[in-house]
Parts: sequence; structure tokens; C-alpha cells
Amino acid sequence: MISRRDLIGRGSLLAGSSLLLLSGCNSAKTEDGPLVGTPKRGGRIRVGTVDPSAAGNLDAHKPTGAGIIRGWALYSKLWEWTPDVTPRLALAEEAEIAPDGRSWVIRLKKGLEFHHGKTIGADDVIFSIRRLTDPNLASPFAALLAPIDRDHIDRLDDRTIRLHARADQGLVPLSETWISFGGIVPTDYHPVTNPVGAGPFRLKEFSPGQRSVYTRFENYFKPGQPYVDELEIIEFKDQQARTVALLSGQIDVADIVPAEQARLLSGSSLVDIVESPTNGVQSFDMNLKHPIFADERVRQAFRLFADRGDLVQRALQGKGRIANDLYAPHDPTYDLAIPQRVRDVAQARSLLKQAGKSDLAVELVASPAGASAALVFAEQAKDAGINIRVKKVDEATFYSPEARTWAISTGSIPARGFLASGLHADAPTAVSNRTNFHDPRFGALFNAALAQPDIEKRKLLVHEAQKIQHQRGGLLIWGFAHVQNAASKQIGGLGSERTQFAAWRFDELWRRDT
Amino acid sequence: MSGSRQLRTGIAFILAVMLLALAGPALAPHAPDALVGPTYGAPSSGAPLGYDYLGRDVWSRVLAGGQSIIWMSFSASLLALTIGALLGMAAAYARGRVDQVIVWITDVLMAFPDLILVLLVVSMLGREPWLIVLTVSVAFIPAVARLARGVTMGIVQQEYVEAAWMMGYPWHRILLRELLPNLATPLLVQLGIMLTWAIAMLSGLSFLGYGVAPPAADWGLMINENRAGLLVQPWAVLAPVLLIALFAIGTNLAAEGYGRSKARIDEKQG
Amino acid sequence: MTRLSAVADALPTGDAAPAWHFTLPGWLIWTGGRLLSGLTAILFISAVVFGATQILPSDPARVILGPDAPQASIDTMRHQLGLDRPVAEQYGVWIAKSLKGDLGRSLDSDVPVSQIVSGRLANSLTLMLIVLLVSVPLSFWAGIALALRRDRWIDRTAMSGLIFLKAVPNFIVGIGLIFLLATSVFRILPAVSLLEPGLPAIAQPRYLVLPVLTLILMSFPFLLRLVRAAAIETLEAEYVAAARLRGVPEKRIIWRHVIPNALVPAVQGIALMARILLGGVLIVEVVFSFPGIGTAMNAAIEMRDLPVVQAIALILALAVILINLAADIATVLLSPRLRTARKPRIRPGTRARIRQSAGL
Repeated sequence: MISRRDLIGRGSLLAGSSLLLLSGCNSAKTEDGPLVGTPKRGGRIRVGTVDPSAAGNLDAHKPTGAGIIRGWALYSKLWEWTPDVTPRLALAEEAEIAPDGRSWVIRLKKGLEFHHGKTIGADDVIFSIRRLTDPNLASPFAALLAPIDRDHIDRLDDRTIRLHARADQGLVPLSETWISFGGIVPTDYHPVTNPVGAGPFRLKEFSPGQRSVYTRFENYFKPGQPYVDELEIIEFKDQQARTVALLSGQIDVADIVPAEQARLLSGSSLVDIVESPTNGVQSFDMNLKHPIFADERVRQAFRLFADRGDLVQRALQGKGRIANDLYAPHDPTYDLAIPQRVRDVAQARSLLKQAGKSDLAVELVASPAGASAALVFAEQAKDAGINIRVKKVDEATFYSPEARTWAISTGSIPARGFLASGLHADAPTAVSNRTNFHDPRFGALFNAALAQPDIEKRKLLVHEAQKIQHQRGGLLIWGFAHVQNAASKQIGGLGSERTQFAAWRFDELWRRDT
Repeated sequence: MSGSRQLRTGIAFILAVMLLALAGPALAPHAPDALVGPTYGAPSSGAPLGYDYLGRDVWSRVLAGGQSIIWMSFSASLLALTIGALLGMAAAYARGRVDQVIVWITDVLMAFPDLILVLLVVSMLGREPWLIVLTVSVAFIPAVARLARGVTMGIVQQEYVEAAWMMGYPWHRILLRELLPNLATPLLVQLGIMLTWAIAMLSGLSFLGYGVAPPAADWGLMINENRAGLLVQPWAVLAPVLLIALFAIGTNLAAEGYGRSKARIDEKQG
Repeated sequence: MTRLSAVADALPTGDAAPAWHFTLPGWLIWTGGRLLSGLTAILFISAVVFGATQILPSDPARVILGPDAPQASIDTMRHQLGLDRPVAEQYGVWIAKSLKGDLGRSLDSDVPVSQIVSGRLANSLTLMLIVLLVSVPLSFWAGIALALRRDRWIDRTAMSGLIFLKAVPNFIVGIGLIFLLATSVFRILPAVSLLEPGLPAIAQPRYLVLPVLTLILMSFPFLLRLVRAAAIETLEAEYVAAARLRGVPEKRIIWRHVIPNALVPAVQGIALMARILLGGVLIVEVVFSFPGIGTAMNAAIEMRDLPVVQAIALILALAVILINLAADIATVLLSPRLRTARKPRIRPGTRARIRQSAGL
């Protein structure tokens, strides 16, 4: 049965993907806005970013705070994200997965260099992945690459390596899980004393919590890029302050602008706002180990009383799309046949009654970013006779081990493919599984998919896995948040993408007025 | 303005704000948490002050949100007044070691800028209202204790008090007859001053994001929540700002006016 | 009215004065004593700060590594940071290193704490120095001018205005100034203090105007009131009346009597003001995104960046103790009776009364 909501949901998805087609073909550049014109070289671009607390570092493999953004300037990877969140080759010339899904052969492009002039070779790639997965570095992102047997990496020649999986594990999503924090660095790398990579810009100056300055890397692997001579990343503690700075010309680009600031900026004749309809997940994570949510009917009831449209309108101020409790809708293996869940308070009430949980009271723990959604959700819960008490905690507490004991909390997953998203959120080997979802059938299907490079065969596995998630998983995925990036009209190269980081493609940005 | 007129104006301001805060919840057209309008909606006939970042009615939240800053500022100041006065009198009365220890403790406490002390404790132990009250009062105690100690020492050294002492008057009579009347004025003035500072500190904590936790309707929290939209929907910030300012000005005027009118009476008598 | 000039009386000294073979000035010995008690206070505060940061409800290792980190990585990190050692040992190590000037490394950005703190401390100090340099002369000038016009309308209006200024919380003043001078009414000043890290703050005066203005508005009313009160007291004194009768010009009276007599309460007032400013920068810097010690402290508390929190709390406490000490020494040196006394003692409750008369 297809409901009206369902059509709207699917419809908005289609609208999103047509936008994507436009932005995907960068060469066309026929639309209005920041993509118009041929890139010019020269000049300096100042990017303002907001992190209320963290100053962060420069570490390629363990970035904190704005370190993630700085990494986009400093480091290149074997793959990079296309605007529609699929991986494509970057430093690698060729990457081939074995038919059994358990090993990869990867060859570098010829003649690549690091910022300090050293040629990039197989040893550097091996060093990089071993550093990223080094238990002593304790990178949180190492877990994404846990299936790699880091002690048995074959060096086939100066530019080629072969990676193997540990026993029984699949490496299909490697190209996705090794991008974001997989900067290739030289064997003499040090994040503080020698922070060099092969990214579009080399570091000139770094003042933590204030700003960092970069100059163009002439031997960047993309010919002719980057366009600007100098890049500056300025850190703000406060959204309002950054907005004012953009309006007064103190900065040229503002990334991930909240809706109310975007509303302010849209009135300005000096600034363009580019919306990226991303697949970044907004969720409530129900903990199956908690007595309340151990009962499948209670999880169902929560999914049913959620008013997803209202959540998008209020918590995201309309800048988002509703979701169907499943992630990665762009993934070719995503099951589009699963009907969109619609609000049904009566059904939710009856499920709660069956479960003996009418008049339920529960505490919802919210991160600073998730607090708005939590407050809206608490109001919606009243309709189903549920009393949700919102407890807003700071970031440090939200990510403390205490989180394992919470009944339900707010959550988010970056835009990734199905397998990579699962490895973030609720797969058997997920790095932070707040839902404690350990369904044996789902686990078996997911593990099989990890080792199945053939898309058509993998589709069957994923479809069944998604039905299980949709029916009895722990994630209440209510929406995908859109990202608004803002730039001075003097800036070109800022596109609309499915990803959350259109504004961090510093090799694409250029100035009109040089 | 004369002292007594300042006092009257100040008390009028305080009472007006308290009345609004007390009667407010009964008058509010909507529940403070109800999502009734568009996010950052502009003022309209149904909502004189518009809507906040989640689409809640600002006017209803203003009416519902005044109580916490009032009771918190009053209890923090009164607590500090009581404990500080007792400590100060004890120090002056006991002299010697006890005095030195109390003075040293107040010195140490005073070495922290107030806000840092409060910020450290609140960020460490959580933002329970009673904890905030307790910490703010701890930040205020040294000033009261020093004041009470100074006044008490001045009196204890007076000849007639020493005489009363020698003649075996019971100490509570000395306390009641001599000490309290002399302490009352500076302590009451200090109370008004502390109220002003408590308001500044409590709203400052909210501004930094360490105040009362959502979803409570609270003026300080409203400022913090809606600050990002200051230029889009200023009323969600300005309304609580104006009320907090009015309350703070009221307490300060009252303290000032009381001090001045007392001083005038003293001058006339002296 | 509080008698401000009487604060510096020497108390009667003890009866059995020791016989000195060589005579150190009494105030010097007294200073030594004060210094010693200040040091013990610092030591005590350092223990409190360190102990307090230990009970933060989170794990620094978890903060650094983020939500996705497996427990094994967390344990490794804790070991690297020395967090698995006993608290007393951690404190000892911290104190020993601090004394050598090594304040540890920031958990957040992995650079030495001294590197983060020193630049920001310089920025905040610049801010506060400018504020003091403007508001101290301003307070003297305006305080004495108002005292000379006591109870005339200008005096009454100004005093009422000061009450308003004094009462309104400082972030509200800051937001108001941004509205007025940067975004909505006049757009003449930058709303955000984006200092170039390479340059000293003083070389970028445009970015200093608004924060300095906010801090002046929140601090000078206190000092002005002190100066005015002291000036009124002097002007009412009999010897001033006598001098006037002798035909001594007003200017001379002000320079010879009014200003010197206002100095002692003003010195204590400046010390109190400096303490208010140290607390005030915490909020005002956030309003203007000024890269100073206040924004650093806020961010560090939020991030649970313990080495930075400890360092800044300690530096601020040290600053307050030094400021108070300096003010007390200045008070003793400025009052002839105290300077020559064998056991100078500032009267008990002096600072408390000055506080109150300033409205603090």
C-alpha cells in the first residue's frame, strides 16, 4: 500500500537527485549561482568555521574539532568523494577488490609528490594505513578499518600494495571507510612538527582555536588546481559572530550555516547560499539493552508517533527531508520498496498498551546539536500519552561511556553508503552502536554483504537486512538534514552536493575578482 | 533622585517584575512548551512577541519564565548574607586563630573571580538549580563576612561595649542591642548589591550555556536559545533581556536608595 | 557615609616591641608576611583546582578520541596521558612541572598549554590595560567634577545613569553595542574581534574598540563613585574650608588635597575593578569572539581540556592575589602613618567597606 506521505517522501527524494545531476556535472556549469564562470587563478580565500569548544589539531588520522576541515586542505587520499557520496579514485590510479571480497590491490598514480618534495610511494601508503590503525595512536576512526590485517600488507612494487582482510571479514566498503580520515602522509610525518601531506594546500601557519593559513601546493595531483594562492581557515566560537563577519567581508565562505543564519544571509546582496540536500542522518537511538526498548512493540510505537514532517519543519527549520528509519537512500542496494512509515498515534497507543507500557515515562538524552529535535519529539510524544523528559548534556558527556546506559538519545550518521553507514551505527562490528542492536539474522546478512563485491548479489542481502532494521532495529531515523553553505558572490566553485562538505573542497574554490 | 525616591522606585521595579513572574503562568495564552507557530515567526495579533526557535509563543514563555531567576537570585543572596554575617561576627568575636583562619579562607575564595568559581563548579557537578544557588552564594560569602567582621570589630572595641561585657551583660543582649542595629544597614545595602550581582551572574551563566536546562521556560535560557536568531526575531531575546535588566536595575536602585536615605538620617542624627 | 579616609589608620602596635639590631622598615616585613600568606593561598588553590578538575564527569581520553573510539584505544590514551596513575601522583607531577613553567599539553590541539595561553593572555592583558588606562583618569576627572557639583542636576543625573549602567549585565551591554555600532544602527566598527595572531593586539585597534568600550562601561562606574565619595569627604573637611578662606585657588586644593586623599580608596578600588574585569572578560570576550583568556577558558571547560582549565584558573587566581597585594602595599606606602608604623595593619573590613561604597 502506498500512502500519500510515501509519495511525498519519494518525491522529495527524486527532486533531490535531479538537483544532484545538475551539480554532479561540474563541467557544464550552466546553472545560476556560484558555479557560473570559468575558474580564475590567484587571490586569497578566507573560510570561517564554527566550533564552540574544540580548537582541534592537524592530525591526518585523528583529527579533532576543525582539524577535520584543515585536513581537507592538507591531505589527499587514495579515493575522494564525488558530489553524490560515492568514492572515486584520487591518488590511486587503480584499485581492485578480489572476487571473494577479502583483498584489494591498489596502485598509485605516477609521479606524485608530497608538500616537501618527496615522491609518494608504496611505503608511504603502508605507513599511512599502519599509522591510522596503530593502537597507540588510538584514532577513533581506526575501527572503520579494523577488518584490515595491518601486519600483512604486501608491497608489490614502488607504487602498488595488496591489503588482506582478517579472517572471515569482508572489505567491500574499503573505498568508503578509508576516505575521510585516510590522508596519505610520508614516512617522516609528524602531526605537530612535520604536518605535510599531498593535499591542495601546504601549511604556512597554525594558531589553534584562531586560524590557520595555507599556500597553494604547486604539484597537487589535479593539474591546474587549486585556484587560489592562499587559503585561510578562521575559527569562530559563535554563529552570530561568523554571520556578521561574512556580511562585512571579513570572511568569504561560511560552511554549514544554521537555518536562521541562512535566513539572515539570504537577504544580503553580497552573499550566495548554496543548499546541499545531503543524506546525513538525524535519528533517535533506542537502546535495546534498556528494559523499556527491549520490547519491539515499544520501538514500533515510537517510530509511529514520531511526526517526521514536523520534526523537519521545526528542528531543522524546514531544511531537510523526512526519512524512513533507514540510512543511505542513494546507495544502489537501498530497498525503495519498503513503504514510508507515517504517523499513526492510535496504532502507537495500542502497541504500547499491548506491551503494558501505557503512561510510559522516559528520559531522552540530547547532544547540543540534537536538543531542538529532542524538544520537538517530547511534545509529539504527549499525543501518545508518553512523557519524555529531555536531558541536554554537553558534548563531552554525550560521548562519555555513560552513554551506554541511556534509554534513548539523539544521534546522527554522516552521509555514507549502506555498508559504511552500518559500520558507523548498528552493524555487528559498528564502532559506536548506541542501539545495542544485535539481531543474529541481520548480523549474518550484513557480514555476508561486506564480502560480496557484486552489486546485484549484494542487493538481495541488503534488502533483507533493511527489512529487519525497518521492522525491529533500534534507530528511529526521522530525517536527512540539508546543509547550507554560504559564500561571498566573489567566490566560485561552491556546489550543491549529497555530501555535507561541499564547502570544504578547497581545490575547487576560486575568486572572481583577482 | 533622592535616596528615598530611589528606594521606592527600586522596590516598585522589583515588585512589578515579581508580579509578572508570579501571575504570568496563569495568564499565558499557551503552554510554554507548546509548538504553536512557525520557527522564529514574527510578531502577529495572536502572538505579540512572535515565536521562538522552535515555534513556541515568546509571550507565553516570557510570562512563564520569570520565577527561576527571582528565587535563585534571592536565595543565593540571602544564603550568602546569613552565612557571611555569622562567619564575620564569629571571626570578630573569637579573634586569634579562628579569625585568622576565616580571613584566610575568605582571601582564598576572593582570589577567584566570582564567575570562574561558579563556572568551574557548575561545569563539573552539573547545572542543578540548587547547586547554582549554592555556588553563587559561596562566591558572595567572603564579601559579606569581611564586611560583618569589620563592623563587628569596630563595635566590639568600643568602650561601652567592653564595659557592658565586663559588667557581665549576657552576650545575646549585647548582640541584639549593639551589634545588630549597627550591622543592619550595611548588610541590607549589601543584600541589594548582591541581588544585582546574582542577577548578572545567573543570566551570564545562562548566556554562556550553563544555566537552567531546557525545556524549562526561563528568561536566561531564552536569551541563550534564541541568540542565534537575534537579528531575525529580536523579540525572543529582547523581551527577557529587558525584564532581567529591569529587575537588576530595581535591586540596585533599592540598595542605593536605602543606603543613601540611611546615611542622611545618620548625618542628621550625628 | 563610610569614612573612607579613615581606613588607613595604624592600629596600636603590640606593647613588647622586639629590639632590632638593624631596623628594617615595618612595611617591608609586613609585605614579606603578606607574600607568604599569598603563596600558601596559591598552593591551596592549586590543590583545589586540580582536585576539582578530577571530578569532571567525563574522561579526557574519551573527549580526545570522540564517540567512535573503542575501549582499547581509550585505555591506551589514558595511559599515555598518565590518567591511570594515582591522583596525588598526578598532582605532584603537575605542580613540579608548573613550577618549571611547563603547564602540560592541551588535550584538544596537542600543543603546549603555554603556547595557547601566552598569546591569549597577552591579548586579554592588552584589553584590560587599555580599560584601566582609560577608566582610571576618567573616573578621577569625572568623580572630582561631580563632587564639585554635588547634588546639582548634572551630578544627580550622572549618578542615576551610573546605577543603570552598573545594574545591567555586561553581555547585554555588549550585545547592545553591537546592535548600535556594528550591525543595525551604525555600521562603523567590526562586531567580531578577528585579531591576526601574528600581530600584537595593540597594533589592531579597530578590533579592540567594542570590547574595551563594554568593559569600560561595566567597570568605571564603581571607581567613579569611590573617587566622588572621597572627594566630597575632603571638600567638606575643615582644613579645606580654611584653605578656601585663605584664598587658596580651587585648582591647588584639588591637586594638593582632593586627589591625594582619593588615592587610597582609589587604589583599593582599582584592585577590585581589576578583579571584576578578570571575571568580565570571560563573558565579554565571548560576546565579541575576542581571542583572549576568557574564550580560551570557556572552550577548555566545554572540551574538558583539563591542562588548559587548570593553567588559566591558576593564572587568574595568581593575578588576583598579586593585584590585592600590590594594592595593599600601595595603600601602606601612600599613608604616612602606616608607612612608619612598626606593624602596619589595614583596618579590618576596609576592603569590604570600600567594596560596598563602590556598590560591589
